[in-house]
Amino acid sequence: MTYKELNAAVMIVSGAGIAAWVGWQAVTEPAPDLESVAWRLLYAIGLNIVINIVLMILATIVVSIAKREELKDERADERDRSISDKSLRNGYFAVSIGGLAVIIALAMGQGPIVAAYALFAVLMVGGLTDPVSRLVYYRVG
Amino acid sequence: MGKGSAKIDNTIRTLRFHAGEMTQAVLAEKVGVTRQTIVAMEQGRYSPSLEVAFRVAQAFGVPLEQVFQYRGEGE
Repeated sequence: MTYKELNAAVMIVSGAGIAAWVGWQAVTEPAPDLESVAWRLLYAIGLNIVINIVLMILATIVVSIAKREELKDERADERDRSISDKSLRNGYFAVSIGGLAVIIALAMGQGPIVAAYALFAVLMVGGLTDPVSRLVYYRVG
Repeated sequence: MGKGSAKIDNTIRTLRFHAGEMTQAVLAEKVGVTRQTIVAMEQGRYSPSLEVAFRVAQAFGVPLEQVFQYRGEGE
């Protein structure tokens, strides 16, 4: 596994974990108002970034020990750039569709709290589409 | 970028063998791409740009068509 693939895998794990945690909280401890929801989601986004960095450091150390050589990121070549572009496009597509779905949900009478959670879900799906796409393109071609 | 069903075959593995079992890492260094890109090319999972294709041929000192062969429709 290369550094770029590991990075994508870590992003998937941390993103999915945070999304699951937010979902679980939304069901078990519903926030009283929109402001509380917004702070909760902001906290989750910040936590996602921190967990992503920590997991990446730990994963790099573990893989380096397992392979008995330092796992380093290589300079991106044309294939890396192409994969990055296509993955970003997929993520953008997912966010666009999700954003449209949120607007439709609002138009159909859903409240702002549901819309806030839906917006967060859309961002997470878009954020996960990118690394999932990268892994697929790297592994399958 | 090529896909898994690329219509371009290549003889990189054979050429590496004839070049004294040149490693993928050495070839990658010569061509200026990552080793993973060489692996993907060898396995037919990636069709490189024209420039990289020329650089691969140059690394082996052979003409481009000796490295890459286009499989046309129905072939």
